Amino acid sequence: MPLLLLVSALAFGLLQLVPGGPLEVYLSNPGVRPEDLERLRRALGLDRPLWVQYVSWLGAFLTGDWGYSFSDGRPVLVRVLERLPASAELLVVSLLLAVAAAVPAGIAAAVRRGTAVDRTLSGLAAVGVSLPAFWLGLMLQLVFAIGLGWLPSAGRAADGGLTARLPFILMPAVVLAFVHAAAWMRYLRGSLVDVLGATYLRAARARGVARGGELLRHALPNALAPVATVVLLDVALLVPGAVVTESVFAWPGVGSLFTEALGRRDYTVLLALLMASAVAVILFNLIADLVHAWLDPRVAA
Amino acid sequence: MRRVAAVVAVVAVAILTAACGGPSPSPAATGTPASGASRPTDRLIVGYDREPDTLNRFSTHILEDIETCVVEGLVTTNEKMEVVPLLAAAVPTLANGGVVLRQDGGMDVTWRLRPEARWHDGTPHTSADVKFTVEAINSPAYNPESTDGFDRITGVDTPDPLTAVLHYKEVYAPYQLQFVRGTLPKHVLQGRDIDTANDYNRAPLGTGPYKVAEWKSGEYIRLEAVSTYWRGAPAAISTLLFRFIPNTNTRINQLKSGEVDMVVMFPWDKHREVSAIPGVSVHRIDGNGYEHVTLNQRAFTAFADVRVRQALNHAVDRELIATSILEGLAPVTAGPVQPVSWAHNAAVRPYAFDVARAKALLDDAGWTDANGDGVREKDGQRFSFTLITQAGFAVRENVAQVLQRQFRDVGVEAAVQLHDGTSISKLWFEGKFHAMLHWWQLPADPELTLFFAKDRMPPAGRNINYVADDALTALVYAADRTVDQAERTRILGQAQARIAELAIEIPLYGVTKLDAVPARLKGFTGNPTNTGPFWNVQAWTLDRQ
Repeated sequence: MPLLLLVSALAFGLLQLVPGGPLEVYLSNPGVRPEDLERLRRALGLDRPLWVQYVSWLGAFLTGDWGYSFSDGRPVLVRVLERLPASAELLVVSLLLAVAAAVPAGIAAAVRRGTAVDRTLSGLAAVGVSLPAFWLGLMLQLVFAIGLGWLPSAGRAADGGLTARLPFILMPAVVLAFVHAAAWMRYLRGSLVDVLGATYLRAARARGVARGGELLRHALPNALAPVATVVLLDVALLVPGAVVTESVFAWPGVGSLFTEALGRRDYTVLLALLMASAVAVILFNLIADLVHAWLDPRVAA
Repeated sequence: MRRVAAVVAVVAVAILTAACGGPSPSPAATGTPASGASRPTDRLIVGYDREPDTLNRFSTHILEDIETCVVEGLVTTNEKMEVVPLLAAAVPTLANGGVVLRQDGGMDVTWRLRPEARWHDGTPHTSADVKFTVEAINSPAYNPESTDGFDRITGVDTPDPLTAVLHYKEVYAPYQLQFVRGTLPKHVLQGRDIDTANDYNRAPLGTGPYKVAEWKSGEYIRLEAVSTYWRGAPAAISTLLFRFIPNTNTRINQLKSGEVDMVVMFPWDKHREVSAIPGVSVHRIDGNGYEHVTLNQRAFTAFADVRVRQALNHAVDRELIATSILEGLAPVTAGPVQPVSWAHNAAVRPYAFDVARAKALLDDAGWTDANGDGVREKDGQRFSFTLITQAGFAVRENVAQVLQRQFRDVGVEAAVQLHDGTSISKLWFEGKFHAMLHWWQLPADPELTLFFAKDRMPPAGRNINYVADDALTALVYAADRTVDQAERTRILGQAQARIAELAIEIPLYGVTKLDAVPARLKGFTGNPTNTGPFWNVQAWTLDRQ
């Protein structure tokens, strides 16, 4: 709780440090005169001292009142909630994709350590970690939407079943999954290499346990424990981390709401999103600890 | 493993395409969506660069394309920037008796409304709506974006349902555009808090050819044609879908793949790319805006010398910029009023590109390069300033670099700084910059006071050149107090000549608007002002091919 308080104060302060405020967007209309700006400043409560603004926001926030968006005047909670389904959808699909790619690739690279397979996969992972999401996204659009015409280039299916929705989510999910899959694969590879070199497995090998599947059955659970922690910590960051991907694919999730709110310095929406991310990070840290303890009894003890 | 293989394949293809410098549109790409014997003629999908915050035309600060389709003004401005009546029967003028100047210095404007105009719910549009709009905007209970003009109206008389007489406390020259954003429906909004009336703000009741059928936050707004449109037949295109696609590359990609039919006001650097898309035609219209360099005399005092400002104007090769970077898309301009405006003074010419003259003027002003480092000095101060501009506009960043180079050629150093849109607004509004490369998008009325009167420096206005010239100030105020258009043209002509003579800023080029529309769209004209290209949407049709 004190941690969240600190986060809220930091977030509030940081937003104030970003040049410009919620009123600057009005300046693009020459009909908006200084007296109009003063009137709007008072109406939005921005004429009050900063600490008063912070305390009044915090007081309301603690009672569950997230306030109103500066840009469209609707409740912040409504604006965030209506974006959650799209974000959750993208999160789940990209998480599944990433795990499905990272686990087999990590195992293959570890088992065939030093071979061409390992070098190819590790090389790919290095590319994946360093590829900018916006570039990868635009390239996928060029190839699969414009070049081949197989997939829609952006947006989200408004309704319809899985077959209608899947084409829209495929590319953004792949882009989002790619970066994480690459990182997780490297973790898994490293972790598995360590475990495979451990004494108990050398002993097992000496007793005649074959190198293949049998060996993995002993090694994998131990190697997965640290990876699971990393995955869970990353998941908390997947939603806010989708900012770029959502923008490239016009995906109507929380990430694009953040971009939009940042552009307009919509403080109430930004604060709500920052606080929600902070809560998510703390929550997933907790879950990661529990899962790690469950997978690795030594941690619990 | 199969998934890994899939990912590998994707990356390989992507890298390959990048290496080839992007694919040319393959038959598959153009074949799937663009050809095909018949495409829908009753639906138009618009790729739009942002989501509006509200559709209330008085609260918004977004380009008004979507609102224009739904809410009509008493007048609108057409593709030639002429004020044409819409809900009004005629535009009031001195000549037709619609405007009467009073002895006390005020004026009365009489609006006669069209009897057949109906709100979408069938209620007649009347003078009571006009009166309600004025009172709502002037009421402290509502926070519109701007109360400009309305705050000079002391009262509204409604002798009959089709006549509204507005009493202005002083002569207000832009009165014709007072209701270009329409009126608020009294029977819906009376007695309510308009700021939070989200049923209206997100789906306004209007009189226009379309109504808001659905607003899916973060995704799109869908408009459907009104079946009982008061001007006659319903719009031929029954559905208009505005999809929010903030990323410019994605927007253009959707145009290429045929997922959107139309993109309004796309950036100039995409011109070649968009022109090459089959089935898409690029519509070009000169806008009522101009790109220029603002010279802040207060923050960088060297700009206070008229010889220095003239020298910088002579140092810039506008033709080179227009033909190379702008690829001939935009016309060179001489000042703040563009040829599309009735107030334009064609006698004012741009400063000629003349390096020798520029150098002589700088020498004359006492700026010389004594130490031979290529940059002039005076009284120990180097002629070195920062030129700020907004990031993310490829064309503008290139222009800034050319300017930097051309200033350097006359011994003046400029450092280019990029800022995001909101940050730069704050900088200019507080006058915290030396020089700024930017444009003003101006309304159809040629009011110059806000930008050039000596008492309109921030925070009182937008005179961010910080110019204080008595003659110019007198001229622009006189123009604001003149209703007769011929007389106002004469005064504004003098003001434009004075602005050029003082070389207050460095005008570069007029802002051309580029709209990508389906080649099979008929009736599209574009629009030079923020009224936007949808001003005549009820007259659009789509051919089958």
